[in-house]
Amino acid sequence: MIWAKEETLPREELEKIQLTRLKETAAYIYEKVAPYRAKMDEAGVKPEDIQSLDDLKKLPFTYKADFRDNYPMGLFAVDKKELVRFHASSGTTGKPTLVGYTRNDLEMWLNNVARIACMGGATADDVVQISFGYGTFTGALGLHGGLEKVGASVIPMSSGNTNKQIMFLQDMGVTLLVATPSYALHLGEEIRRRGLDPQKDLKVRIGLFGGEGMTEPMRDEMHRVWGDSFFCTQNYGMSELCGPGVAGECEALQGMHINEDWFIPEIIDPKTGEVLPSGERGELVITCLGKEAIPLIRYRTGDMTRLFYEPCSCGRTTCRMENLSGRADDMLVVRGVNVFPTQIEEVLLKIEEIGPHYEILVERKNRLDVMTITVELVDDRLLDSYTKLSALEQKIKAGLKSQLGLATQIKLVAPNSLQRFEGKAKRVTDLRKDGL
Amino acid sequence: MKQLSVFVENRAGSLMSVTTAINEARVNIRAVASFDTPDFAIMRLVVDEPEAAKDYLTSKGFVVRIQNIIGVELEDKQGNLNHMLAVIAEKGINVNYIYSFVIRNGLAPVMVFHAEDYEETVRLLKEAGLKIVDEL
Repeated sequence: MIWAKEETLPREELEKIQLTRLKETAAYIYEKVAPYRAKMDEAGVKPEDIQSLDDLKKLPFTYKADFRDNYPMGLFAVDKKELVRFHASSGTTGKPTLVGYTRNDLEMWLNNVARIACMGGATADDVVQISFGYGTFTGALGLHGGLEKVGASVIPMSSGNTNKQIMFLQDMGVTLLVATPSYALHLGEEIRRRGLDPQKDLKVRIGLFGGEGMTEPMRDEMHRVWGDSFFCTQNYGMSELCGPGVAGECEALQGMHINEDWFIPEIIDPKTGEVLPSGERGELVITCLGKEAIPLIRYRTGDMTRLFYEPCSCGRTTCRMENLSGRADDMLVVRGVNVFPTQIEEVLLKIEEIGPHYEILVERKNRLDVMTITVELVDDRLLDSYTKLSALEQKIKAGLKSQLGLATQIKLVAPNSLQRFEGKAKRVTDLRKDGL
Repeated sequence: MKQLSVFVENRAGSLMSVTTAINEARVNIRAVASFDTPDFAIMRLVVDEPEAAKDYLTSKGFVVRIQNIIGVELEDKQGNLNHMLAVIAEKGINVNYIYSFVIRNGLAPVMVFHAEDYEETVRLLKEAGLKIVDEL
């Protein structure tokens, strides 16, 4: 089912909507958001300079760092009393990336999620288990609200507690699972380990996956674990843009349809900032249309992809983005959580008992991401007892947990055992191959 | 009595790298202890020249701690260790770890241990008539 007629408009009509909204957004952001007005003034561009969609490239970029620099509410265009919701995701340092929604924003967001849910095959008959972690992240409440709009019955299960997850899948007759693809694989294997066959013993027929990319080898594994008739799609979004609901795969599985009447995508060369010709791979830049609380123009997502504009066999005319092929920066996605090495460094540098050097290893064990951080012990006083050494380990783990919202493994090593770098340090090793 | 504590990772050759360095510093090892832990260990040693050993090990990149520990000479006789521990336990003092060296060219064995309250423990042991050794 196609949720909104805007998904099937001829391109000229779609572009008409985009241009009208882009002009409004440029005028609105110039009036309401001082940091972006300053950028536009510096670039010598005024809202009235935007007369065609091609003029978009005259507007300055917005970066994740702008959220940090203007934390908490410097990028907001409305007063607090207009807001009905806040969400937050990882920042590059200690402060999170904070976003907010007016009532209209929430309505628009959840409608966009409803579109994505329909692309993936959701209907009002579905019983949905949301196995994303609830809290300030946008994933859980986004899918939750979007699927309620579709009319499905939603179970706000949250992440973890595999036994309870399986009990609900069985007892509630769940038909649709929302999770990260790696957690879905883990859960499916745990079900099989308990002697159940998902295809025979459960009713789960659809997976709506997000939080991290799903590679084709992962999708193949998904069929092996959940059964051949299990249909799974991935969707794309990030809290700065609204959350999930930016793009999603339809039944054709030929890329993720972008909700173009609300999000204008561009592909740029991440080094020069130049817009690349259609079909080329580069960094995805998104301009949000119609957003009230945090209007956002030319946001650098950091995600590398390509766009295809040919109409799709599903009937939608919106452009499609290819499965993500890496990052323009050093961000990692661990258990669906965005992690910047700078966040880890910030925690480690505050701990005196260890040296300034560290290594980050990410691997996948039993389908789940495990991040191990190796640090050098420098304080000999801790050698008085094992208790002191394990207290240090706990202190580092607690600091990282509070910063990242993730559990980590800590490995203490002797001083000078980690590699030293003269130029740019290579501190991250990611052993995950094809997400498996 | 002084003890060296050296941080070692749990992998092949790590204990040897410490003994090699101590040997290079021409320091003699009198006793050694290291316990079973998953990722790393604290190697504890009693040596004849702890300061020299620490300086050399530190220069080689090891993290080294010198600590006071208590050495008690015990005659090789049934019940002696039990008696010594009873003196400490009666006062509610916790022993964090204990190890021993036995072969001392015909001299009596020595128990080496670390207790919560160093001063008080030494006083108690002396009061109970046990023989504290400072040097080996």
